[in-house]
Amino acid sequence: MKLHYVCADDFKEEIFIKPLPPTHLYVYFQFITISEESSFEHSHLAPRSLGEVLSRFQVDELHLTLTEGQWKHNKWGYPILDAAPGAELYAWFSPNVVDVDTQWRKLSATLSGLFCASLNFIDSFNTVVPQMAICPTGAIKTNQNITSRLRYATLPREIVCTENLTPWKKLLPCESSHGFSSLLNSRMMHNTNYHSIGVHVRKMCKVDNCSDINIEIKQTVALVYDYKIIDSIDWSFRKLFGQGLPGACPLSSSSKIYVDISSNETYSFKLSPSPNNVLLFKRGGSDTMLAVYDIKSYNHMMNIGVKYDTQDKLLVTIAPPLHFTRYVLGYGKEFGGIVTEITNNYWAPIDIVLLENAPWWLPIQLSSLRINGKAKSKLVKSQYYSPGRSRQKPYHLELLLQLPPKSTTTITIDFEFVFLKWQEYPPDANHGFYIGSALISANLPTARNYTSLPITGSTIDSIINASKQWYPAVFRTNGAMVSLPTPDFSMPYNVICLACTVVALAFGPLHNICTKELVLKPVGSPISLRQKLINLFKQKKD
Amino acid sequence: MAESSRMWASASFVGVLIIIGLPLWWKTTEVYRVTLPYDKISSFDTQSHAITSELTVLANDAQTAAEVAGLIENAFMDSDVLKLKITKRLLSEQLHRTLESVADEQEAVEEVGAVFDLKQHNKLYIVQRGPLFQDVWVGGERVVFFRDAKAAETIAKVLKQWVYEPSVLEGARSDTADSTRRVRFPPGPGYHVVLSVVHPRPQDLKVEFQAGDAMEDYIGSFVDELEVLHNFTLKSQWLYLLNFDFQAKEVKDGSEWGRHWAVREEKLQQLLTRLEGRAATHVSERPALNLALYVVPCDRAPLQIYQHEKKVSAPVQAFISPKWGGVVFGNPTAADCRQESPAWKPPVKLIMGTFIAQLRELLGITDKSNIEGAYLEPLRSVIPRRWEVDSLLRIRSLEQITSAERTLQSLAQLLGEISNIVINDEVGASINAAVEAIYQAGDLAIKGDLVESYRKSQTAFLAAETAFMDPSLLALLYFPDDQKYAIYIPLFLPIMFPVVLSLKNLLMWLRGKPVHKEKID
Repeated sequence: MKLHYVCADDFKEEIFIKPLPPTHLYVYFQFITISEESSFEHSHLAPRSLGEVLSRFQVDELHLTLTEGQWKHNKWGYPILDAAPGAELYAWFSPNVVDVDTQWRKLSATLSGLFCASLNFIDSFNTVVPQMAICPTGAIKTNQNITSRLRYATLPREIVCTENLTPWKKLLPCESSHGFSSLLNSRMMHNTNYHSIGVHVRKMCKVDNCSDINIEIKQTVALVYDYKIIDSIDWSFRKLFGQGLPGACPLSSSSKIYVDISSNETYSFKLSPSPNNVLLFKRGGSDTMLAVYDIKSYNHMMNIGVKYDTQDKLLVTIAPPLHFTRYVLGYGKEFGGIVTEITNNYWAPIDIVLLENAPWWLPIQLSSLRINGKAKSKLVKSQYYSPGRSRQKPYHLELLLQLPPKSTTTITIDFEFVFLKWQEYPPDANHGFYIGSALISANLPTARNYTSLPITGSTIDSIINASKQWYPAVFRTNGAMVSLPTPDFSMPYNVICLACTVVALAFGPLHNICTKELVLKPVGSPISLRQKLINLFKQKKD
Repeated sequence: MAESSRMWASASFVGVLIIIGLPLWWKTTEVYRVTLPYDKISSFDTQSHAITSELTVLANDAQTAAEVAGLIENAFMDSDVLKLKITKRLLSEQLHRTLESVADEQEAVEEVGAVFDLKQHNKLYIVQRGPLFQDVWVGGERVVFFRDAKAAETIAKVLKQWVYEPSVLEGARSDTADSTRRVRFPPGPGYHVVLSVVHPRPQDLKVEFQAGDAMEDYIGSFVDELEVLHNFTLKSQWLYLLNFDFQAKEVKDGSEWGRHWAVREEKLQQLLTRLEGRAATHVSERPALNLALYVVPCDRAPLQIYQHEKKVSAPVQAFISPKWGGVVFGNPTAADCRQESPAWKPPVKLIMGTFIAQLRELLGITDKSNIEGAYLEPLRSVIPRRWEVDSLLRIRSLEQITSAERTLQSLAQLLGEISNIVINDEVGASINAAVEAIYQAGDLAIKGDLVESYRKSQTAFLAAETAFMDPSLLALLYFPDDQKYAIYIPLFLPIMFPVVLSLKNLLMWLRGKPVHKEKID
């Protein structure tokens, strides 16, 4: 069978599977559409709906992820693409855009319709303009001011489910009928510890001197399975996705499955069927072994699986070079604080940028910033702070830190609780309020636990022998939750009813006293004239 | 003393609660509404609009001119929607001679064009030309040739059925949509034309078709001519692996295939539902005219549509869905499918021609039926005839004016029925602008300034639609009445009863009558 397509559009699908010993399994799907035209008027494999949105709002680069669950960096290492819990959207607009903020709002509203997510709640009050933490990954001319065209927002409360997956699948040329996307069965997918779907659009140079530009639309799915949930340490496609793989998408130019078998030495297992190829390569001093399956559009089902030899082995996992946690301090309903602990396990210092992004109802004061308990620290190389404004702008703090080797740095910042107006409370306000995760952007000196693709690569084979001096990564810490002072919402109605009753009760007597006269009414039968005379006589006698 | 002060107290309660309180309550709970020109809106009469069009009769002699003009005038006498301004003129000697001598009609049109301006909208020239094979000849330009005075009846028919179509104009302003209005798209400032190439089995058949180029070449040159009416944006996309079961029946025949697949026409509409799911028409900011080329898989080719158990005989199997778009079935030939690696090169001209025919209908250009003695030059290229564009302008102007009027009238009616609707300043301004533009467009139409009238009517139509669809109208619509009463009743019932009852005493006291009857038993 042959591939038949007309334009020069290119579609590739890939799966990357990495066991995260001892208890989890990381499965990462990516679907890459590389489109020739920079305008989306006549699209071939690229989704026209997304293209229409991008060209209408003149977006240069776009990243949207919808995530449920929390990636545990200290246990699982680093994912290929990290994502903040909930919905995360950031985009660079074209230099031709005059009013970036309006376009941003329109873009998020349109995407909200396209993906059935509540992205329409993105507004100026939850949008920041990161100064140092995020860099574009695509080909954008560097001589212009890139930062001013960037907008970043997260919605940590967003719940991701099937209704987001269905429109996401519709963007794929093979939809969900053929190819790897047919594995994305929502019943199995949402039965995981962590799942994240994403759309990443960027410009890529077609040739070295970047005179021609391609558009890369990358759709990703990251899943972390828990062996406890699938009820066995041996996994197979049928166990993970509920069905076998029916073959490749007939439109894809390459359909490959990569299984990371580096952990085979410590936890020996057997892959079946045997892979087409095994790649052994070094990246930044760490060895990786990848089993590669080159999938053709088979007509029979394929079920890749793993059987472990021994099932009762305990292993201490080594934490990655950089890991972090974040939590909220304080008690009561007046003051609190956010603590971010960042650990550098490496023997050399690591430079990171930390972006703290607090909503306007959680005012953080720069004066209360403490690093390792000290107000002034030598670790801070540069800092950016943009105070929030009530109902208009979030608080935004960026720190360029140099983490000393083999140490943990604690960054503390205090906040006050704010009273909201009664209409500003979300439904189920007693559930608590989410604080978005902090961004940590680091240049890692080692590729240990590092799986991200190099910036110029788009397929997974680009990680082969991709040794560099630095390995750039952007991580998201875990989010947090605070409980704001929440009123009793039925109170105003009760007050109105009570006040009305009191007024009504008070008014009646008041009105009567003012307007009516109290007249004594004689009691008994009227006295006749004769009786009066008798009475008079009686008095005289007395 | 006591009597008068008690009465004063009572009066002050009345004063505070009824004279100050009630108006204040009324004012503060009032729904905000800008004053609207209700009288103007209610005086709209959608049946009153008419459009003037200019017609010049050019004949060899005054008698023929008068005869033809008189007959046309008579024919359009009873139509109140179209007013014809007929001018009679004699052909100049020179033009007369050239028209008699040139052999070709196209050349003759050019000769007329050299003397008269044929580019102007809403003007038609009826020119006498002796050497005609038919009574009447109609081409792509705004010129109608006729042979002699005997052709006058046919001219009147041609003008009625082909050029001016007063029945379609009536349909555009009437309450109920006529057959053409049911097919054509609702008016709008612009449309997206989206061509979706549906290819259900990309693995089995290679399709060599440049959708983008075909769009630009064919549809592009067609819609360029309609620039004065709408803005068009052309888009194309490929939809792969969209499987649809037509429930086709195999029928043996004597063709190259030795069979064809029969599909009942009723089944076809179900394809649209599948297409809608993938075509992503909802993301466009403007309404989309959908054109779909469905590539029939080899094992289902050729597909043949059956209408009432009878084959639809057409070079291209296609169907149109009113107000949605058109679908064309691309049937690969047996030879294409039996190749080692099956490949199909669609007949672009034929397919795009079918799409153009569908587009014409969807945009409101009607099919012209045969008239005896009259000859309609067939369309040689994709561009529409010039007088068809004029006809569209007339239809759309009327449709937009009447639609704007109806929208405003229903809005006014709604405002009367539902007291909770807010009319803020913006909506008010937009309603006023619509009313203003309706009057202007109506006046311009009577004057015969077609293009300006069309533009004004579009302004009116858009302003009326924005006003009607504005979300701010609904701001208070769902405020429940029972909640209001839950507050008013406990407050007002116990307070208002004593105050209202005290009015009686107060009035009696004011008239100088004793307030309390002395009770004497």
